[in-house]
Amino acid sequence: MKVCFFICMVCTLFLTGCWDEKQFKNVKLVLSLGFDQGEEGEIIQTVSIPTVNRASEGPGSESLQIVSTSANTPLHARDKIDQMISETYDPSKVKVVLLGEDLAKKNIYPILDDMYRSPRSNLNAYLAVVEEGTAKEVISMNHSGATRISNYIGGLLEAAVSSTHATGENLQLLCAELLEPGIDFSVPLLKIEDDGSLLTFNGMGLFHEKAYTGEKIGAEQTTMYMLLQGVKGRVARLTEKIDDNGKDEILDYVTVSVAENDRKMKVENKDGEIAATIHLDMSVKIAEYPSDHLYVKGRIEEISKKLSERLTEESVDIIAQLQEANSDVFGIGRRVKAYHPEVWKEIDWSETYPEISITPTVEVEIIQHGIIN
Amino acid sequence: MGIFTRIFRNNRDKLADRHMSEPSGEKEVQCSRRLSENVEYILGAFHQTNDLKIRVLKKGEAALLYFESLAEHEKIHEKIFAPLEMGHADDVFQLPNAKKTSDLEEAVRTLLRGHAIYMEEGKKEISQFSVTSSFGRTPEEPQNEKVVRGAHDGFVENMMTNINLIRKRVEHRDLTIKYFKLGKKTNTNVSVIYMDGIADPTLVQEIETRLHSIDSDMIHSPGHVEEFIEDQSNSPFPQMLNTERPDRVAANLVEGRVAIMSEGSPTTLIAPATFFMFYQAPDDYNMRWFTGTFVRLIRLFSFIIAVGLPAFYIAVVSFHFEVIPDELIIPVKASINEIAYPPIIEGLVMVIIIELIREAGIRLPAPIGQTIGIVGGLVIGDAVVRAGLVSNIMVIVVALTAIASFVVPSNELSTALRLLTFPLIVLAGTLGFIGIVFGMLIILTHLTRLHSFGVPYFAPLAPLSLVDLKDTFVRLPMFMMKLRPKDAHALKPVALDPSREWKNRDGQNQSKQGSPGEKTSSTKDTKQ
Repeated sequence: MKVCFFICMVCTLFLTGCWDEKQFKNVKLVLSLGFDQGEEGEIIQTVSIPTVNRASEGPGSESLQIVSTSANTPLHARDKIDQMISETYDPSKVKVVLLGEDLAKKNIYPILDDMYRSPRSNLNAYLAVVEEGTAKEVISMNHSGATRISNYIGGLLEAAVSSTHATGENLQLLCAELLEPGIDFSVPLLKIEDDGSLLTFNGMGLFHEKAYTGEKIGAEQTTMYMLLQGVKGRVARLTEKIDDNGKDEILDYVTVSVAENDRKMKVENKDGEIAATIHLDMSVKIAEYPSDHLYVKGRIEEISKKLSERLTEESVDIIAQLQEANSDVFGIGRRVKAYHPEVWKEIDWSETYPEISITPTVEVEIIQHGIIN
Repeated sequence: MGIFTRIFRNNRDKLADRHMSEPSGEKEVQCSRRLSENVEYILGAFHQTNDLKIRVLKKGEAALLYFESLAEHEKIHEKIFAPLEMGHADDVFQLPNAKKTSDLEEAVRTLLRGHAIYMEEGKKEISQFSVTSSFGRTPEEPQNEKVVRGAHDGFVENMMTNINLIRKRVEHRDLTIKYFKLGKKTNTNVSVIYMDGIADPTLVQEIETRLHSIDSDMIHSPGHVEEFIEDQSNSPFPQMLNTERPDRVAANLVEGRVAIMSEGSPTTLIAPATFFMFYQAPDDYNMRWFTGTFVRLIRLFSFIIAVGLPAFYIAVVSFHFEVIPDELIIPVKASINEIAYPPIIEGLVMVIIIELIREAGIRLPAPIGQTIGIVGGLVIGDAVVRAGLVSNIMVIVVALTAIASFVVPSNELSTALRLLTFPLIVLAGTLGFIGIVFGMLIILTHLTRLHSFGVPYFAPLAPLSLVDLKDTFVRLPMFMMKLRPKDAHALKPVALDPSREWKNRDGQNQSKQGSPGEKTSSTKDTKQ
């Protein structure tokens, strides 16, 4: 009798386990997820679902299924998609989450709420905004590369991160900046080109609080923009025009790659007036200098001086754009709140931020010039 | 004064023959003066068995009895008839190689040992001659404990040869051997071997007590003895080390452990054993200590693979596929997408198939065994994947597990590990990672609670003894193993005194040579 009871207990214990079972072979993995604004306030969700068929040798053949539906909330859309596909929809391996431009200009938090709430969602996914287009177009685009769209976008964003064009923030890292009033964020912009067969990284879209402002830092300026944030990828190359000798255009340029950058930001409170200074110290290597003759005495000092001037000018330009978009990417508000709470209480940061003075200074030191002089 | 009493009273201490084993408490039967009565008694004791040979000598006045199946004719001739013919002795009773008795029961016992007995009409005496024939194989290297470098001999079925092999290795007066007769019908010789002065006497006492309490008709192997004397029978883990290698036994004896041997089996039991002893191979001590440590670590890692890998895989694909890396997710999905059965069934089926192949291979003669390996491993493995019954990743996982379980140097522990895979697979298939954690917890709790002859089985990890880790996860250089492992409860803790002092000596010599001037002056001073 006792043994019987014991066996029953053990069996029930095991059976409760099967309740939570989630067979990997019985799910449809969603690897990329797109949200767009519908015409009547609803949202349109588009997913790409790869189905692979086993081959006895080598990788199996792969087919992609693109499903799109409109619904009131993301979870509602998921339920609807679940009714359209075989097996169960599973977003726990999502690699990229795309937002259409129209939707991004509204509050994006409601779209992401379910991802933050569920323990199974992949917070490691990248977030990107499709410029002048919809997420559906991107996900269902017939791109020239043979890889999956999720791999394509993921790889493109990773490359942008390693070449210091994007911060590489995933959903988890964006969460704090999304909810905190003292800091804003920017998200990579993607654009379809070449009649829908190619995607390009088109700069960083600036967000104010929870919505896309429509302003962006162009792809040419993103490296400097990242350096100003103190972020450096594996490679950070800057190409600047430092000469104007009127001969060949190509001889006017120098390309440097940043070896080290040291950013210092100071936020000062002058009788309620907030002023910030950003000081950027960079050690660079000359990677390309077509006009050559670096051995000439004083040439290197001249280049570094000119570079410092040019980069300071560019920084001023970038900061102007940020203030115009009212996007406090540097987190100046956070510092004000932390170090000058009495000022923070009095002011409305969204109104104050575009007015404050932010002075950038860039100092460049050339430490190497390749293996030739 | 003493001398006189000795001479007059003939009061000398007589030396008696030492018995091999302690005298059994059986009754004594004095032999009578009549030969026919004695022969009748012995024939009766053996139930008229046909292989008991009786040779009548001296025209019916004397008889020589022996088992023709146990005795060797050449030896009978050499020991009894040859000396008589040569004229060394006039009578059989005067032969010096005879052992005398007047107890018929003893004669019965010695006959069984392969002796020949000689009796004469009118004499109350029996002469016993050791004429046992023995068929022994040569001490070859045991098949299941091969080493690359080191001694290539192994125990055989003859216990005397085995003890000889050990005595040759441990040439010391403290090596003590105690015989026991176990098994009421088989009368198997069992010996307990230990180093007196190193081995804990209470441990030896405990082993003797446990051996004495065995009351069985038959003892046929050390495995048999093991089950009677081990602490915890309800455990998958072996609590005594089995080995057929003399060098291993010798090393363990000197560490302060006790070995138990039995006649007719090459396997020796070593007690007390700890979990980590099963992961030590004689090869480790012949390698350089870097490689020895590396191999040791690989082996211990194989424990985790052998016990947990299939369970881990099953838990991942049926509960937690979020942990699969992004790059692997599509290949894994592709391989398991169209498998008909849930992973737990897949896993159990594959593990059982591997066990079937292994078991089929062991009993078959070598050429067929190989065929089984090829048919089972390659053909079935490949076909099962092509047919879509089992995913190819599962085949990889199960094959890795099987290989990992064979890495363990001890066959007993290897079987135990393969057995432990099953409950963990079931737990992983029903509760996921939590199930594995529960399973591992239970195994660890069991390991730490287990004792082998009063010694914690999981020592030196639990209870933790940092010093003893020198020969568990790592194998430190020999000269650093100064103390015997604590878990053997050795009386003499120090195993070696500083043995590399020549290094310091060289250093001192150099410093002395560096200042020759001072030295000469000092010698001059002493002369004056």
